[in-house]
Amino acid sequence: MSTQPVSLSRDLTIKQVMRAELGDVDMAVWRSASGVVSAWENRCPHRGMRLSHGFVRGESLACAYHGWHYNCAGACHYIPAHPELAPPKTIKANAYNIAEASGIIWVNATGNVAPIDIPSSTVPVRSIPIACPVESALNGFSKHTHQSLLTQHTQAEIIADTPYVLALTPVGSNSVGVYIAFQHVNDSTTVAHITATDNASMNDVVALSRWANEVRDITEFSAGVSE
Amino acid sequence: MNAALEHALQDWYPVAMVGELAPGECKHSKLLGVDITVLANHAGNATESTPTITVRADGAPVDVQQAFDHWWVCLGNKPRSLFTIEEASEADRRFVPCGVVRVACSPLRAVENFLDIAHFPFVHTGVLGAEPHTEVYKYDVKVDESVDEVIATNIKFYQPQAAKSAEGGIQTEYIYRVPAPMAAVLYKTCPLKPDALDVIALFVQPLDEQTCDVWPWMALYDDTSTQAELIQFQQLIFLQDRSILENQLPKKLPLDPGQEIPTKADYTSVAYRRWLKKRGAYYGALEVHP
Amino acid sequence: MSFTLHDYVLSGNCYKVRLLAQLLEVSYTINPVDFHPGKAHKSPSFLALNPHGTLPVLESGDTVLTDSAAMLVWIAQQHDKQHTWWPINDAECLAMTVQWLGFSSQLTESIGQLRLHTMLNRPADAETLRRQSIRHLRELENHLTEQSIRGQAFLCGKQPTVADIACFAYTALSPDAGLEHTLYPGIRGWLHRIRCLEGFLTMPGIYEAHETRNEHTAAS
Repeated sequence: MSTQPVSLSRDLTIKQVMRAELGDVDMAVWRSASGVVSAWENRCPHRGMRLSHGFVRGESLACAYHGWHYNCAGACHYIPAHPELAPPKTIKANAYNIAEASGIIWVNATGNVAPIDIPSSTVPVRSIPIACPVESALNGFSKHTHQSLLTQHTQAEIIADTPYVLALTPVGSNSVGVYIAFQHVNDSTTVAHITATDNASMNDVVALSRWANEVRDITEFSAGVSE
Repeated sequence: MNAALEHALQDWYPVAMVGELAPGECKHSKLLGVDITVLANHAGNATESTPTITVRADGAPVDVQQAFDHWWVCLGNKPRSLFTIEEASEADRRFVPCGVVRVACSPLRAVENFLDIAHFPFVHTGVLGAEPHTEVYKYDVKVDESVDEVIATNIKFYQPQAAKSAEGGIQTEYIYRVPAPMAAVLYKTCPLKPDALDVIALFVQPLDEQTCDVWPWMALYDDTSTQAELIQFQQLIFLQDRSILENQLPKKLPLDPGQEIPTKADYTSVAYRRWLKKRGAYYGALEVHP
Repeated sequence: MSFTLHDYVLSGNCYKVRLLAQLLEVSYTINPVDFHPGKAHKSPSFLALNPHGTLPVLESGDTVLTDSAAMLVWIAQQHDKQHTWWPINDAECLAMTVQWLGFSSQLTESIGQLRLHTMLNRPADAETLRRQSIRHLRELENHLTEQSIRGQAFLCGKQPTVADIACFAYTALSPDAGLEHTLYPGIRGWLHRIRCLEGFLTMPGIYEAHETRNEHTAAS
């Protein structure tokens, strides 16, 4: 397992929790009221409930089932059924290494997290799932750059391969560049996390969002899946 | 055949409500991984108001009996006897079969959730519980050896709306019993008749180890609510549980005490898991039968 | 005007009406109809009220409405004095609202039907419904992504309209049908904004926004 992108920073606002999957690893990713981001095994140690169904209160993530509260370090500090009890230190959520860089949240479920070096001055476009393996998605976004006005005459370059990151670099100096970080969910699902250089206008970002949807349709069609 | 299935085959399971099918009507279902068909027979004589049924598993007819407004079947060749619920013969109660709900979870997880009170404030918010009334006080659990059932008593919990008939919050008392691995019965304070207990049961039809059809049934004292109101109150509650049940990991119930972390509030579930293990009731459980 | 809602507790379409009424603080009476298991919506007495045999039905004096979108409009037009929920003073926003009301009935036919199949064992072509449902979720996600890029929090602008309520129900309930929101960040943000509206109402499958309460401070 390597470092993988799981979300655009924009899409996980404070007091939000989401689910992310990397192969067999099912995780809850959440952001506290003060902005701290964490990624944990998606399982409350109490009864196995997915923590991604839980809710954030202040600096804690609480399980949806019995309201057990875990702090940002993963330690359970409050069990509502026993309000007076100080929970044993052994009750902990299993935390993964996480980093936030270039507007993307990166996780490594098995080792140190090493975000891919993308210029930090990017604006978020969208995260879009594609029902195909990561190589087909990569291929789709490399080949179909001409479908968008923004990326005419662009150079498609794979700037990293674990995980895959694609840079679409424009030729003209005022054109918009695009970065796509690919999340390998499983062999039939890939998520493309897309950002653009900060000279992109609001309308450019909307156009890129539509372009991403078109590329998805074409890619899925050529891969023989029709969702 | 594995021992877990062999054990589960000897119990009775609900497959239809009495009167659910019109004469001649047939439905397809599954029980313990076996395809079954349930056929409502044409009335043998004019006095029968509802048709009897014939159930076939893999084409062959199987034993059927009627109890608690449902049809029950057993696929095994050494059937245990079906448990009893005395209140089912009390004529002044309202009997409310609530229909079936399918849940993608282990049948054992469905039963265990039914025995749990600590989730009320978070899953049944404003109805069966509400913050800050989250504390679970000490209660008693034992296996009643005379009938080989798990029994939990002396449970008290504050409930904002304990039943359809409740007006405002009350301190509710509960008794739970587990008379079979895939059935649970609770007795709780009746808001309209303080000296009596309402009965609510959960009958689980295991389609396989990770999917079940759940048939809630009630025997209440309530002469003001309509049948539709009573059914919908129960469906409101049970469907709040469904999304919890479909998101527990692992899908099968772990019986090994080291795998999940119980607290005092979970004594009923601890006793239930231990009891399942002792009986060898491993169908829907994580461990392979030794 | 007050009304009676012929209601089923697990119906997404009934929930739309309950939700808007709650948000606009409109009081009404509920008449529970035994949809499941009783199939009372197909009984002769119910068919006399609503020949389509569908729920909900709204009754108020001589008015009988059988379409949930029509009910939302009826309630908003009478009770929302600001005209934001049914934006009659803004041609663009009103037209968008009608368009997304139309989309909401497609959600009933895809996700709503798949949910009945998955949860209450209603016969259906599950695979076809699943594909349609995913197409609809993607269409909604595309739109909500663009809206949020433009700084618009809701389907038709900065304020929620009856179309948000109409589309919210079956979108929020899609996990009941086995379709999670994990891969739809635009939808997730929008669902959260609606759940946090003042006066929000839950139903089974749609939880209270527990995060709006204050954090528990460690046990003393």
